[in-house]
Amino acid sequence: MEATALSFFIAAVTAAGFGIAIAAFGCGIAQGIGLKAAVEGIARNPEASGKITTTMLIGLAMIESLAIYALVVALILIFAHPQAGAIAALLGGAGH
Amino acid sequence: MNDSLEERLVKHVVYANWAIFVLASSVGLYLTPAPFAMGIICGGLITVVNFHLLSRTLQSALDPRPGAGNGAVVGKYYLRFLVSGALILALLVFKIVHPIGLFVGLSVVVAGILMALILELKYVFSKEAR
Repeated sequence: MEATALSFFIAAVTAAGFGIAIAAFGCGIAQGIGLKAAVEGIARNPEASGKITTTMLIGLAMIESLAIYALVVALILIFAHPQAGAIAALLGGAGH
Repeated sequence: MNDSLEERLVKHVVYANWAIFVLASSVGLYLTPAPFAMGIICGGLITVVNFHLLSRTLQSALDPRPGAGNGAVVGKYYLRFLVSGALILALLVFKIVHPIGLFVGLSVVVAGILMALILELKYVFSKEAR
């Protein structure tokens, strides 16, 4: 029982770590592509800077919200897991 | 009146963000328990303020005019992200908010952008139909 509880907790922490890593990887690539295109556009046509910036702002906000979602899910898995109380009780009970 | 499409879109997004934030907070306060409502309010505030700061950072960073300040852009960007992360961590660790409520609150900007896009598309199509 103790081993099962421990493996559950390890799996939750591993999932949180991999989750935020994959999210950061994807969002980093997406933001990089967006920023590259925006900078190229501004370099070609500096007068369109305002238009490009405002359009990119909306795209970056959408991408960034995905990273924040992943962060929240990772933090929930580590600190606010719905089963955390039961698992802690199980571990505490097994410890005594 | 003669705003370009992009300026109008950003204006719509900002208005839609605040409108959805106020609506979601009011509904949360009336219909859900306090931690859930707190999650909607805190998540909504974090994400809306984040959007404003991102807008200011990008506008100063991508301004091609000579002398336009674009220093410390990366620093500001990561500082903003770190502060958001620390706030979310504190809210969850000290159990101030309900996780699902926080999730709903953090969706305010995404919902605002989608709403603004729908409004803009409606405007464009109605203009074309005339």
